[in-house]
Amino acid sequence: MRNNLVGRKRATQKNLVGYLFCSPFIFFTLVMWIYPFLWGIIISFKKWNLISPRQTWVWFNNYLGVLKDPLLWLMVRNSIYFMVVFITLTTITSLGLALLIKQIPKKYAGFYITGFLLSYVSSGVAYSMVFNLLFAGDGLVNNFLKTVGLKVDWFINPRIAMASIALIVCWKFTGYYGLFFLAGLNNINPTLYEAAVIDGANAWQRFIKITVPLLNATFVMIIVFATITSFNLFTEPYMITNGGPMNATRTMMLEIYHRVFALLQAGYGSALAVVSAIITFAFVWGFRKLIERDDLYDA
Amino acid sequence: MKMPLIYLVLTTGLFLSIFPYLWMVLSSFKVSGEIFTRFWPSKLTLSNYAFILQGGTGQERNFVGSIVNSLIITIIPTISVVFFGMLTAYALRRLKVRGYRYFENIIIYQMLFPGVLFLIPLFLMMRDWGMINNYSGMILRYLIDPWAIFIYIQFFKTIPESLLEAARIDGASEIKIITRIMLPLSKTTTAIVILFTFMARWGEFLWPLIVNKNYDKMPLSVLLALFTKGEYKTYPGVQMAGATLLTLPIVVLFLVFRRYFEEGISFTGLKG
Repeated sequence: MRNNLVGRKRATQKNLVGYLFCSPFIFFTLVMWIYPFLWGIIISFKKWNLISPRQTWVWFNNYLGVLKDPLLWLMVRNSIYFMVVFITLTTITSLGLALLIKQIPKKYAGFYITGFLLSYVSSGVAYSMVFNLLFAGDGLVNNFLKTVGLKVDWFINPRIAMASIALIVCWKFTGYYGLFFLAGLNNINPTLYEAAVIDGANAWQRFIKITVPLLNATFVMIIVFATITSFNLFTEPYMITNGGPMNATRTMMLEIYHRVFALLQAGYGSALAVVSAIITFAFVWGFRKLIERDDLYDA
Repeated sequence: MKMPLIYLVLTTGLFLSIFPYLWMVLSSFKVSGEIFTRFWPSKLTLSNYAFILQGGTGQERNFVGSIVNSLIITIIPTISVVFFGMLTAYALRRLKVRGYRYFENIIIYQMLFPGVLFLIPLFLMMRDWGMINNYSGMILRYLIDPWAIFIYIQFFKTIPESLLEAARIDGASEIKIITRIMLPLSKTTTAIVILFTFMARWGEFLWPLIVNKNYDKMPLSVLLALFTKGEYKTYPGVQMAGATLLTLPIVVLFLVFRRYFEEGISFTGLKG
């Protein structure tokens, strides 16, 4: 009885201290998440130039405007183009990296991992500046290609500009995603491979039947990250192409920035932000439906 | 695959991965005529750095000041994120306040929520609160990071309760338990939080671009970006000196913390 009472008193005290510790977070969530989230939705139903006290309700007009604008579909197409190139490239490079590093002795692996991760820590502004010069018309890469009689207009040709940006973003993420793949590979039970070898499976069969399915969680995570990156692209196109040539690298983030902070169309920009969030969610959801597997090979 | 071939492929990849850095640093010491024509400079010059650190000819833009600004808007959120991350995670996971599972769900939603939705309303809030063009506007929204709380929760799960009970019986307050027991135990987690937060804030571009138009308060990333697109367009050497200054601190920090990086990735994994 007495013990019970003491226990309850302790529990109340714990709760009290706990809520005290949590209160900054709760306050922060209310002020910096819930309030702006609701406000952002409300603005998207209004016509407002950010300055004047007059905010007219226009209900779904902003959304209609966003959906009717052919630029939206061009931007979605650009992002999908980026996504396809980026996901394909980085999956190959980072999974390849992980598979190779897995083969070498641990003491050398650390050296390579550190080296490959260096590109990940570079900031968007800095590496955009570097690649902008490296890939320039008379830049080092083209000077090198000239020796084999080639010249590529990396950021100038509208058909490949987005792919070029995907290439440099791939440069940034290869080591980082590779580390996730490596962690995934290390979680695979080696006896599975031994059993497969006894059953006469060759290296390719082992890769397709064991490695790929058991890396499912890693694939899902990386594809979700990459999808979000694709639709949130801002710094690289802002620094290198400014959305050009001929809108080939215009992204929804660039357009939101332009609409709100240059044209002062707060309502339209907010509606576009909501649409962009919904499109991102739809793709993330779709990809997960498509590739996520819960109970493959219950091992 | 044969071992020598593996090393060949890895080393080629490593070279491609490091090459842009190498070229950036070399170019920052070249005279402008040699940047596009030579890989190894025939002579080294410090004029690019002198140019940028003296604020350019007649531009009077304070790049030294912008480095200080970058440090301010990086270090304050980093300390705050660690502090509140531990405090909140401790309350949720160790004290298990009533409804802690709901809070943990909220935190996961916050991590996955698209940031684009907050950009405009947060800007308007900063404006209405008079925080445009000063540090507080650039810092405030980053003082607490749900991601940091999440990874502290993941780590705190692994600490046995008996350890804390023993401390409580000895009369230690909860704050003392955090600083004396949890903090030393969570070295790896804290290193990861510091590294990622520092990286994210130091390289931050869009948010400070929006909430600050005052050149004297601009972080290095924004000032450099505006100048690269503007007055420094035709000064590749100066651009590369700036890019080197922007890259150096995070590379150094990463090399110092790299041990924790690899250790931590397996259990913290959630950062896009």
